[in-house]
Amino acid sequence: MKSPDVIIIGGGVVGASVGYYLAKEKRKVYILEKEYPTAGSTGKAIGGVRQQFSHNLTIRIMIESVKIFSQLSEELEMDIEWYPGGYLFLAHSEEMKNNYLKAIAIQKSFNLPVSFISPEECQKIVPSLNLENLLGGAFCPTDGHANPFKVTYGYLEGIKREKGKLFSYTEVVKIKKEGRDFSVWTEKGEKFSAPIVINCAGPWAGEVGKLVNLEIPIYPERHEGLVTEEAPSLFDPMIVDYRPDGCYFFQFHSTRHIIGCYTPIPPVLGPDNSSTFQFLTEMPRRMQRLIPKLGEIRILRQWAGSYEMTPDGNPIVSETEIEGFYVVAGMSGHGFMLAPGIGKLFAEMITKGKSSIPLDEFRLNRDFGKKEVMR
Amino acid sequence: MKKRPKIVCRCEGIEEKEVMEWIKRGYRTPEELKRILRIGMGHCQGRTCFSLLVRLISRETKIPPREIKLPKRRSPLKPVPIRILAHFRDEKP
Repeated sequence: MKSPDVIIIGGGVVGASVGYYLAKEKRKVYILEKEYPTAGSTGKAIGGVRQQFSHNLTIRIMIESVKIFSQLSEELEMDIEWYPGGYLFLAHSEEMKNNYLKAIAIQKSFNLPVSFISPEECQKIVPSLNLENLLGGAFCPTDGHANPFKVTYGYLEGIKREKGKLFSYTEVVKIKKEGRDFSVWTEKGEKFSAPIVINCAGPWAGEVGKLVNLEIPIYPERHEGLVTEEAPSLFDPMIVDYRPDGCYFFQFHSTRHIIGCYTPIPPVLGPDNSSTFQFLTEMPRRMQRLIPKLGEIRILRQWAGSYEMTPDGNPIVSETEIEGFYVVAGMSGHGFMLAPGIGKLFAEMITKGKSSIPLDEFRLNRDFGKKEVMR
Repeated sequence: MKKRPKIVCRCEGIEEKEVMEWIKRGYRTPEELKRILRIGMGHCQGRTCFSLLVRLISRETKIPPREIKLPKRRSPLKPVPIRILAHFRDEKP
């Protein structure tokens, strides 16, 4: 009999985290994953974790997430490679500097140790940083990075310890509410049933929504990434260059690979995740421009994945008009870093009726007009 | 004579016993094991270890090797220095 308390659709980091915190509250959790865990957006994430946002709620959730990340290795009995190396947002224009100063004022009201530092101070943190046109940077030393694969599989093993189950290569094709329970059919013809179904399908969350006739405004946007060979230790923080031809990259503390990506302008919409030669040549140009010393380091691999975008760039963490059907998706490029905090808070919502930080602003039926500035 | 560990992935130094531990936990595809253990993520991009990995999975699961799908190949074929790739963009035809 396949009747758990909760069915989660999607075995990425968000589904795994939501499942883990529900399983810890003694809910029997089944995760249905259409491919294998991390096969979607999670496996394409580079692993950055930051609290520097412009939206109050995102900042509060991220403070919670960072707290969780810092002790997650012990809790999951697996080294998730958390390292608080900080995040450095570079300002190459007055406009950019002012945006950061405004965001810093908001972030400081939550006691984040963030400050705007001079170009020379930036160079202290990132030796051999090119100071050309640099006006300084927004730096938060308690941001950092971790390994998305380890976090996801760590959460999943935790779910299994609590008697939950993971069903890989199990695609959901039909959902029907029959009385109090949902019946969920897979492409293999298996049937599951549960009173609660949570849509954590990332870029496919819209399609899963269609199975219950719900309109969920989440659409995939292609982002490419690459990784270098192991290099000597060069710098601790994630470096973010928000210029139109900027990029973001950091060096993993554990394996010393440099990993990064950029946001193409205009955005590349759609589910196609092929890699391009343009990215493979353009990204190194942008990296080398910031840190000329990177020139000799070799690129090992490139890939592409989907940001799961919502109209305002903020997640959807919400009940729906169908009682018992929830959405936790649309993380808009921040799913990995948000997952621990959102998973924990969402589990509180389900088990206690309300979360310690109210998540109403991320409800499905909101006005999607106000955008996240630090995308 | 001390028993030395059997190395499956030389670039990342991953031993047979680590691989077997995760196969026994139910992760039975090269894609999953690559992501958990970094097997095939090093310099050789799986040229050495993937065939060994397939044999280990096959031995444990009895799935014939030819039915075990290898991870996606990612470019570049060989590691290329950043300066060389960056130079492509500077050359205006």
